[in-house]
Amino acid sequence: MSDILIRANNLSVHFPLRGLGFGERPVVRACEGINIEIEKGSFFGLVGESGSGKTTLGRAMLKAAPISHGEVLYDDGEVNYSLGDIGKNELKDYRTRAQLIFQDPYAALSPRMTVRDIIAEPLEVMGLTSSREETDARVREIAAMCRLNLEHLRRFPHAFSGGQRQRISIARALVSGPRFIVADESVAALDVSIQADVLNLLNKIQQESGITFLFISHDLSVIAHTCDFVAVMYLGQIVESAPTRKLFSETSHPYTRALLSAIPSLDPDVRGNAQKLEGEIPSPINPPPGCRFNTRCPHAQERCRSEVPEWRELSSGHHVACHFAEELS
Amino acid sequence: MSKPLISVENLTLSFKTDEGLVTAVNNVSFELAPGEVLGLVGESGSGKSVTAKSLMMLNAENSVYTKDSKITLNIDDRDYDVLSLKRPAEQKIIRGGAISMIFQEPMASFAPAITIGEQMVEQLMIHSTMTRNEARDISIEMLTRVGIPEPAQRFGQYAFEFSGGMRQRAMIAMALSTKPRLLIADEPTTALDVTIQAQVIDLMKDLVEEFHMSILFITHDLGVIAQTADRVAVMYLGNLVETGTVRQVINSPAHPYTRGLLNSLPKLDDLDAPLTPVPGDIPSPLDRPSGCVFHTRCVESGDIAERCRTEIPITTIGSDNHRVDCHLASKGGAA
Amino acid sequence: MTDTATIEATDASVDQSRKEAYFTAGQGQLIWARFKKQRAAMIGAGVLIFLVLSGIFASFLTPYDPTIAGRNADYQNGAPQIPKFWDENGFSARPFIYSYERTRSIETNFRWVSKINRDKRRYMVFFTEGDSYTLFGMEFNTHLFGVDEGKIHLFGTDGTGKDIFSRTFHSINTSLAVGTIGVLLAFVLALIIGGISGYYGGWIDSILQMVTDAVRTIPAIPLFMAIAAFIPATISSEGRFLIISIILGFIGWPTLARRVRTHLLTERNQEYVLAAQLCGASSSHIIGRHLLPSFTSYIIVDLIISFPYMVLSETALSFIGLGLKEPVNSLGVMLQNVTKADVLLNYQWNFIPVIFFITLVLAFVFVGDGLRDAADPYSDNKK
Repeated sequence: MSDILIRANNLSVHFPLRGLGFGERPVVRACEGINIEIEKGSFFGLVGESGSGKTTLGRAMLKAAPISHGEVLYDDGEVNYSLGDIGKNELKDYRTRAQLIFQDPYAALSPRMTVRDIIAEPLEVMGLTSSREETDARVREIAAMCRLNLEHLRRFPHAFSGGQRQRISIARALVSGPRFIVADESVAALDVSIQADVLNLLNKIQQESGITFLFISHDLSVIAHTCDFVAVMYLGQIVESAPTRKLFSETSHPYTRALLSAIPSLDPDVRGNAQKLEGEIPSPINPPPGCRFNTRCPHAQERCRSEVPEWRELSSGHHVACHFAEELS
Repeated sequence: MSKPLISVENLTLSFKTDEGLVTAVNNVSFELAPGEVLGLVGESGSGKSVTAKSLMMLNAENSVYTKDSKITLNIDDRDYDVLSLKRPAEQKIIRGGAISMIFQEPMASFAPAITIGEQMVEQLMIHSTMTRNEARDISIEMLTRVGIPEPAQRFGQYAFEFSGGMRQRAMIAMALSTKPRLLIADEPTTALDVTIQAQVIDLMKDLVEEFHMSILFITHDLGVIAQTADRVAVMYLGNLVETGTVRQVINSPAHPYTRGLLNSLPKLDDLDAPLTPVPGDIPSPLDRPSGCVFHTRCVESGDIAERCRTEIPITTIGSDNHRVDCHLASKGGAA
Repeated sequence: MTDTATIEATDASVDQSRKEAYFTAGQGQLIWARFKKQRAAMIGAGVLIFLVLSGIFASFLTPYDPTIAGRNADYQNGAPQIPKFWDENGFSARPFIYSYERTRSIETNFRWVSKINRDKRRYMVFFTEGDSYTLFGMEFNTHLFGVDEGKIHLFGTDGTGKDIFSRTFHSINTSLAVGTIGVLLAFVLALIIGGISGYYGGWIDSILQMVTDAVRTIPAIPLFMAIAAFIPATISSEGRFLIISIILGFIGWPTLARRVRTHLLTERNQEYVLAAQLCGASSSHIIGRHLLPSFTSYIIVDLIISFPYMVLSETALSFIGLGLKEPVNSLGVMLQNVTKADVLLNYQWNFIPVIFFITLVLAFVFVGDGLRDAADPYSDNKK
C-alpha cells in the first residue's frame, strides 16, 4: 500500500449556504462519498463538467476546502498525515509538499511583484532557504526548467503572454520541491497551440522529478493524452475510474459514454453522433435521489431513481458506480 | 451563381491606443454565401472577433478603417456599403435586422434587471411594425423552437434564473426572432460544458436549415468547426492565412499555421501520438513581424526563410478555390 | 548600406530597450507613464506644485508680515499697486509704483483717501531686507521683493492695512496644513477600520460598517456649531487650528474607510492571494506584500481628492465664524471681511485670494482625476 501517495476515503465536502432564517439551511453537496487512490509518480486525471465538484475535490486534497466527512490520507514515505485533523505545524509542512497550479494565468500572479519575487515567495514564506543567494540560485534553477530566462526574472507579469504566465505559475509551484501537485484546469485558458507546450512541460517535469500530478480538466482529449489514470466526476461523485486506455476502450458508465460522444470529432465526415445527452445538470443543493445521473441517463430504470449505485470494481483498476454497468458495456 | 450575402474586401482595421496605432485586422477578404456556414478560426490576437464586429459596425470609437476596406451586404438584390452607414437609422439593418450576433458569455449579454421576454419583445419591436402582443407570441414560439421547456413561464423570468446552456439558447432565440439572414456567433459554445455544447451545435445546425440563414461561426475549437462549418477561414495575428471548404482545410491544410494547429490538438483516436505545439509565442500586436506574419514561428520555411522574413506572401488560389497566403504554396505553383 | 544597417540596428536596440523598460516597469512607473499623457492633469500638477511651494516659502516670497505687525496704517483699504516700467515721466528699467498721501477734505466727504502722486516714484528692490520670519526653524529676513520707500501692495490692503498679497500666500499654507492634518488623520483611521473590516469580513465587518455609517450620517454643520460652543474662547489660535483639523479628520474617515474595505474585499479573493495562503503565508505577509500594494494607488487618489474637500470645509467653517479666527491667515478668515456691503462695492480686491483658492482646488481635482485614470495600469492588459 505504500505505492499510494494520497487517498480519499468516503470524502464529502459540503458548503453551507445562508439559510432563509427558518427551516434547514441549504447545503451545497460539492463532493459526496469520494473514494480515490493516487499512486506515487502517476499523472492522475480528474474530468468533469461544471458542477461536478472536481475543483473542490482538488482543493480538499490540499486542505484548501473544508473536509465535512470522510478522510484524506497522505503518505509519501517520509511523513503521513490525515488532512481532516491535521495540526498547524503539520499543515505548514504539508504545504511544502503539496502545491496548486491555477487555471487563470492572469489572476494567479500578483501584478506588482517581479517574476523573481513571485517564484521566490514560497521559499521565503516557508523559510526553505537560508540566504538570498541560495534563494536566487534555486529560482534560477527552476526558471530554467520552465524555459524562463534571466531577463524574464526581472520583469513584471504584465509583460508576458498567457502561456508564459502559466509557466511562471508552474515554476512557483515547483520551487518548494513538492511531491504532489494539483493542476486545476491549468491549460483551459490557453490557446490551443500553447496548450500542447504546457502539457509537454508538465509531462517532462513529471518524468524528471517523479512528482505526482492530479490533473483536473473538463477536456477529455487533453486528459487522454497526458494522464495514466482517469476518474470521471458527475455532480459531486466519481462515476467511473480506470487506467486511461481502459476507460476509452471499455467505457462502462453512461455518462462517460455521453462525454466521449459529445466531443466534436475533427473529421468532417463523421457527423451526427449516437448519443446526445438531454437536459441540464441538476443543482448540487438538491441532487436527485438514488443515482445522481438518473435524470439524464438514457437507460434509467426505477432502481436508479431510488437506490444509490455501489462503487464497485469491474476489472483490475476499473471501478464504476452504475447498477447496470455490465449489461451496458 | 447568386451574389454573396456578405462580401468583405481588403478590410484593414487599426485601433488608436496609448502605445500607438495597433493593427488588429490586416487586409482580410472573404465572401459568405446565403445559407452557408463559414467558420472563422483563430487564437487570441487573431482579429476574428474584431472582423465580425466590423460587419455590424460594433467596434470601439478608436477604430480606424483604411480607405480600401469595403464590406458589402446584399439583401434582396440591394447592396449596402456597411462601413459607410453612419446614422443609427441606417445601421438598423446591420444591427439586429439582417444581421444578428450571439456572444460567448450569455450572462453578459442579457440585461440583468429586465426579463428575458421583455428584451426579446424590445428587439422585435425595433425591427418590425408588429404590436406588443404579436411580438410576445413570436418570442414564445422562438423559445419553444430552441428547446426551452415551459417557454411561456420562462418568458417572464430574468437572466440569472436560467442555466448557462439555457441562456445561450435564449440568446439564440432572441437573435433569430428577427429572422436575420446572417447570424454571427462569436465563440458561442466556448463557455459551455461539452455535453451542452453538443446540444447547442445541433440546434444551430437545425436552425440553419429551417431558416436558410448563414452563420459566421467564430471559434478557436477546430473540432466544433469540423462538425458545423461548410467553409473555413483561418486567421493569425490579423491576417487571413487560409480559406477553403472544411474538408480541404482540415484534411489537407495548406498553410503551416493550420498544419501546426491541427498537429497540436490531442486526438482521441491516437493516444500515443506526442503533442507538438506550434513553437514560440504569438507576437504582440504592437510588434507585428515583417514579411509573412507567421514567419517567426514557422518550422517549414527552410531555405526560403529569408524571403518569408522580408516579403509579404500573395494569395495563391488553388484550382478548387482553396486559398492560402504562403510563399511555399506559391513556390509550388498552382495546386 | 552600412549606414542604413547601423541605423536599423540602433533603431532596433532603441526599440528593444524601450520595450524592456516597459516590461520591467514597476507599478509606480507605469502609473507615471499614463499620467504624463493627460494634459489637464499635468498642468494641474504643475500648478499644484507651484502653489504648494509658494505656500511653504510664503514668508520669503511676500514682502510683509501678514499679521497686524506688518500692516500699513497709511494705506488702509488701499487699491492694488501694479508695478510699471513706463509712464509719462519716462522709462525705467526698474519697476516702480507711485507714492501716495493720505488726505481728507471736504471734497472727499471727510473720508480718508489716499491720493496718488504720480511724480514721486518708489522703485522696487529685490532680495531686500524686511520683517523677520522663521522658516524651518531658522530666522531669516530676506524677502523676494520690496520697495525702497514705504510699502508695496500688489493686491491692495484690507480694512486694517494688512497686505492682501502676503496674507493670500500665507493662507494657502494654513489651508494646506489644516488639510494635511485632517487628511492624514482620516487616512490612518480609515486604514485601520476599513482594513480590519475588509480583511476579516464576517461579523467584525458588519459591526464596523454600522459604526462607519453612523459616523457618516453625523451632519457637519450642527456638529461644528456644538463644538464651537465648547471651545473656550481663550484657546490660542494654534490650538484652535489643531482642533479644527482633528475634527475634519474625524468627519472624513468614513468615506475613505469604505473605499479601503471595498478594495480589500475584492482583492482578498484574487487567486494570487490564495496562492500565497497555500504557501502558508501569514496574514500580515499577505496584507503587506499583496493587498496593500494592490490598492496604494487608489488610496493615493482618494487622499488627493479628499484634500480639496478639507480645504473647502475649513474655508466654509471659518467664513461662518465657527473655524479659525483672526489673526490666523486663512481664506475663510479673509472672506469674513468681505461680508460688508462697503467692501463689496468699493474694495473688490479683497476677492483676489478667492481666485487663488479656486485654482488650488481645481489643481487638486485635476491631479486627482488624472491619477485615478492612470491608477490602474493593469486594467487594459487583461485578456
